[in-house]
Amino acid sequence: MLYPEIVVAGCGNPLFADDGFGPAVIEEMQKLTLPDNVKVVDAGLGGPHFIFTLLDPEVTKKLVIVDIADYGAEPGSITKLRIEDLPPGSYRDAHSWDLTEPLQRIKDRIDITVIGCQPKRVTDPEMEIGLSDEVSKAIPKTVRIVLETIGVDYGTAI
Amino acid sequence: MSKVVEISPTTRHEGHSKLVLKVNDAGIIETGNWCSITPVRGVEKLAIGKTPEQVPKIASRVCGICPIAHCLAATEAMEASIKVEIPKDAKLLRYILQLANRCHSIALHDILILPDLYLPGTDVKINPFSPEEPVRSVAKRIQRLREISQTIGQIAGGEAIHPSNPRVGGMYVNCSEQAKTKMYDLAKEGVVLAHQQMDFMIAVLRNYQKRDWVDVGGMKVALPKDLGYHDQGYLATHPFYGSSSLDECPSWSLDRFKEVRPWDWYMGEMEISLEEPKYPVGGTTKLGTKVNPQMEACTGIPMYDGQPVEVGPRARLVKYKNFDEKGTIGQNVAREMEYTDSFYEMIDCIDALNPSGKVVADYIPKGDGSLGWAANEAPRGTDVHLAKVKDWKVQYFSMLVPTTWNFATCSAALTGAPWQLAEVIMRGYDPCVSCATHMIVVDEDNKVVAQKLIQQ
Repeated sequence: MLYPEIVVAGCGNPLFADDGFGPAVIEEMQKLTLPDNVKVVDAGLGGPHFIFTLLDPEVTKKLVIVDIADYGAEPGSITKLRIEDLPPGSYRDAHSWDLTEPLQRIKDRIDITVIGCQPKRVTDPEMEIGLSDEVSKAIPKTVRIVLETIGVDYGTAI
Repeated sequence: MSKVVEISPTTRHEGHSKLVLKVNDAGIIETGNWCSITPVRGVEKLAIGKTPEQVPKIASRVCGICPIAHCLAATEAMEASIKVEIPKDAKLLRYILQLANRCHSIALHDILILPDLYLPGTDVKINPFSPEEPVRSVAKRIQRLREISQTIGQIAGGEAIHPSNPRVGGMYVNCSEQAKTKMYDLAKEGVVLAHQQMDFMIAVLRNYQKRDWVDVGGMKVALPKDLGYHDQGYLATHPFYGSSSLDECPSWSLDRFKEVRPWDWYMGEMEISLEEPKYPVGGTTKLGTKVNPQMEACTGIPMYDGQPVEVGPRARLVKYKNFDEKGTIGQNVAREMEYTDSFYEMIDCIDALNPSGKVVADYIPKGDGSLGWAANEAPRGTDVHLAKVKDWKVQYFSMLVPTTWNFATCSAALTGAPWQLAEVIMRGYDPCVSCATHMIVVDEDNKVVAQKLIQQ
């Protein structure tokens, strides 16, 4: 099965500074040994095309999305959001498939949590590589929150 | 008296683009301009000074749909510059990854064009998300094909979205014997589904072609038999993979390539004089709005042998398999025909793969600054990356992506069609616009002199 029971997807584009937060968290998480029913995936910009539209609710029960979210907090602050909290248009499929949002389509059958980090600097459309210090420091905490969300007690000291 | 109508933004494809159309009294397009309105990004600038290993990773991030094509093209451009030949099994793994990516892409495109098409024998358009038969089983088949392709891609490429396995000089790891068997089993399952899916799509496309009229937002529009015809040439470098400057007989040539500025090509400032609120979705641009494709277009116009050309599935089939059908329907049929070809080719590659063969070149030079290029036959067409590497640092990098080639060609193909069908023609190119926005400037002697960002 391509996607197992629990999927953790890091979304965002590392070419736009802090927008690379999601993939950076995934890079950390891939160093951990996780149970077989968990898959962590660097979704980049392809979340809607490659993951959200391909999840089978018969198999996948939990989806955790790690991304940046501008909610007016201090840079590096972490928040947990539900799909209902997201402004319309977040994760809109660039393909605009019959104009609905792919997460709306699956939200009643898959438990979705979005873990958002307040960015300091997103440079779109100019490209720039590298997270700001504040956002970079939020990575270990985010890993811990993801593990807690998916119910994996890793026993780490962080 | 000509009128000007604009469809902005266009839908059911990746990225942002628009269609500015000058139409006659009967609504037939006299001049069509299809242009990208995604702002210019600076990937070429960003790449300078990075290592050749980093740049393919950066290139794979410019687009949410084609990371695999960009990763492979960039990796091979680096290899072409430093002149390293990769082992056979590494090549096979890349072939498998490439083909898996293509199969996934065709499946996606099916979902995007189905809402334009009709259930045969009815006047009902297809909603790919309908829970009713026969559409439901088609949708399930599409999902399974995507799943199969993604899984095979993940085994060969390390990760399904941003492949982690390709590296300069080959691949990081070969796959295990078990993984090979798994890919083989999946491809065998895929080929059966691909046959069914191809047959279904071609039947639906032929049914569309036979219609006299189609419905667009409640408007009954006559369907011309020459929908999307153009007389531009075709460009393809390989039936399924690509070519590079390392090849003994490269099938692409920098000397035959030239890029001109959009303001030599697109229409100048105009005012919208036709508005259609019924056009899905949300109507066309308001009357009186000023448009200026010359200045708004974010891409240059690439030419091959002095002409804009078509790239993509039909170009490959015309060049390598004597396919000769013109127009939008021919293009979509060609794409479907690549489905089964891709799976058969994939099976051959998996068969030939030796899981204990080496996948990294013995010696990887540091580069002497010579220009190398690699063309990758991405799902949407020829994706050419150029690079200069010296002492393991990238000095120059540029991407010439498929949809850039198709902008001008598709613009030519719009002429003669009812404006309401302009998007149908455009979708035939399976456009992926977000990365098609950059420019290489070539001087009179056809030497790459500099890259220039278009800034207004």
